[in-house]
Amino acid sequence: MSENQHTSELSDAALRASIDRSLRHPVMFFFTSGALWLAVGIVLGFVASAKKHSPDFLACFPWLDAGKVDAAHMSALLYGWGMQAGFGILIWLMARLTRKECKSAGVILLAGHLWNFFVMVGVALILFGWGSGVPLMEFPPQIWICLLFCYLAITIWSLVQFQVRDAGHVYVSQWYLLASLLWFPWLLVSALVFVFSFNDNPLMAAGVAYWFESGVMLLFLLPIGLASAYYLAPKVTGRPVYSYNLALFGFWAFAVVGPWAGMQKLNGAPIPVFLPYVGAAAMVLILIPAIAVGLNILKTVSGHTDVVVESPSLRFTLAGIVLFVLFGALSLLLHGFAFNAFQFSYAGYGLNILLVYGVFSLCAFGAIYFIVPRVTRREWLSRRFINWHFFLSLYGVASIVICAVMGGLSQGYGMDDLTQPFMTMADRASQLGWGVTIAWGCLLFANLFFCFHLLLMWARLGRRSSHPTLLKGHHAESPHGPDGEIDNLGSVSATH
Amino acid sequence: MKFKAFLIGLLISFGFPWLVAVVLPFASMRSAEPILMDPEDEEAGYYVSKRDGRIVEGSQVYGQEGCYHCHTQVIRPTYIGSDVHRDEWAGLKKAATGGVDGRRETLVFDFEGEEVAKVGLTRNGPDLANLGLRLEHHLKGTGTTPEEWLYKHLYNPRETFGYRKGDQSLPDKSKCPSKVGLFKKVSVSQGRGKGLPVATEENEAIIPTDKAEALVSYLVSLKKDALRNPIPAQMDYRRDREQTAEKK
Repeated sequence: MSENQHTSELSDAALRASIDRSLRHPVMFFFTSGALWLAVGIVLGFVASAKKHSPDFLACFPWLDAGKVDAAHMSALLYGWGMQAGFGILIWLMARLTRKECKSAGVILLAGHLWNFFVMVGVALILFGWGSGVPLMEFPPQIWICLLFCYLAITIWSLVQFQVRDAGHVYVSQWYLLASLLWFPWLLVSALVFVFSFNDNPLMAAGVAYWFESGVMLLFLLPIGLASAYYLAPKVTGRPVYSYNLALFGFWAFAVVGPWAGMQKLNGAPIPVFLPYVGAAAMVLILIPAIAVGLNILKTVSGHTDVVVESPSLRFTLAGIVLFVLFGALSLLLHGFAFNAFQFSYAGYGLNILLVYGVFSLCAFGAIYFIVPRVTRREWLSRRFINWHFFLSLYGVASIVICAVMGGLSQGYGMDDLTQPFMTMADRASQLGWGVTIAWGCLLFANLFFCFHLLLMWARLGRRSSHPTLLKGHHAESPHGPDGEIDNLGSVSATH
Repeated sequence: MKFKAFLIGLLISFGFPWLVAVVLPFASMRSAEPILMDPEDEEAGYYVSKRDGRIVEGSQVYGQEGCYHCHTQVIRPTYIGSDVHRDEWAGLKKAATGGVDGRRETLVFDFEGEEVAKVGLTRNGPDLANLGLRLEHHLKGTGTTPEEWLYKHLYNPRETFGYRKGDQSLPDKSKCPSKVGLFKKVSVSQGRGKGLPVATEENEAIIPTDKAEALVSYLVSLKKDALRNPIPAQMDYRRDREQTAEKK
């Protein structure tokens, strides 16, 4: 190695380390409070599901009754966990990819705390019966407005960083990050205007709220998960992305299809007939970007099975990407072949959980396992905790989706069977609800491991070591770059 | 790819669906034309949706309590599902009304007065689009009013018998939550006769709160009543079938 090259690698590593240091507090705040919200969301999911088959479960707490707890569960999951984890990944990735230190960590941290506070107030208001009462936008409008301002204060700096970046390559991850950055405020402002400001048509107001919720999952959370996958797969394997053109195609296919989805849930309601169908078509076509992204990421890591097995980040990310392809396939089957039957069944919930927990959260866990050691300069403590987290997560999410979709289809087809009373199919669905409840219990265990582990890292109790925590018994070769990266200056790796 | 082109791409890929699937339908639904009762006879006047009760407040309580998670309020057209034919979901059949088939699909006017339509997400419980009329029909002659039945059902669904005659099974099968939070315990003298016929301690009465009253008033207003509020022929779900029959 020539001396010049060595110096440039050192200064590169120094830059990376200073970027990580500049973002340490906001990133760790978003991840830890997100993880705690995830635990809250899972507990609420468990209660909500249990109440579907055992309605008197926890009946002594009127604020936890069915209906309100369902709304609180999804809100905690989306805005408490999803968006906060998304913020953490977004600001860190954007800083690393633009190679700019963050100069506004204080503002981001403050806005993050406020976001957290408003979500907390919103969830409490829902539980005590003072939500907005708007399906799928249950926070009161005042809370939404506050969240919008917090969002701008958190993310605007990433846009600034992108603007002042040194000219050069724009990475695939950055496309997805920019898309979610720009689309979310547009979604939220539209929803605020059409749902809460104009008081004209109750049906279209409902339609816009459905479109908004779908947008949060499909147009904010999902792209951040994919951005993280497009960053980690090449980074950890040390290879460039398999095909730039395929990435380009996948991105634009996603951008063209995604924003149409949402109103398919209003199928049969008296709104313009094309709206539910165009939503369903989008949910069918989502398989195209899913295949493009899946193929690209899998090809990028192919031949590196050992790295996938060893690296927690890559293992989670890859599982998330495989589930994205499965999500596309399931969405095609449900919307393409059973659209009318599954509309008012449990299956829609299964599909949502597959997207939020299966795809986004697994990718987000992958990113967290990668980012946290870099910003805390400590390594993960326990290989076993990560393993438990991974397998319980996978088992839990698979059980939820299978039970909800199977139960939902039998419920949906039963609804059209006029020879049977309604109660028969309602009973049938609630039997499979038991499976969903147990699966949420499983996810709760998974996240106890994750939360506890993350809180230890947050308290800077991680291992002071030059070896990253890998999921195999030896530390012979590190997929995260040469040894000593944590204790020295930062990772020195092939790409980005 | 130039960054400017990328940005324009992002704006168009989102802006176009936003315009076509959100803004334009919103604007067009905003100014829904009134519908003539008879297209050939202007004198017959326009269709007016008749609905009374505490609709704005009740609809909001319905939303705040999250009822839409398990109950829908939409009778889908027959090409989508058999909702019209299920029990009395869509209205009363001929036999019950004395010759008029009252069943119909949900119309845009059914949600008039509400801020946001509670179309609903799943059908873990039955559809409620015609709940008010259904209760009225089945409770006739039993001495229980729809309101009384609803208060008891909301307070504890597992201690209330079904509204159909002889239906003893609902308490075992209902998965509806007990919304005790919508009721309060007061002394009998404060109850002013509003006390629910449920077991309480001595000198205590369970009375509905204002929220419960609004919710029940709203639920009773959910009716597909073809007798008191007939709909124009062009909105009848059987219109195509009848036209075809006439042609034959």
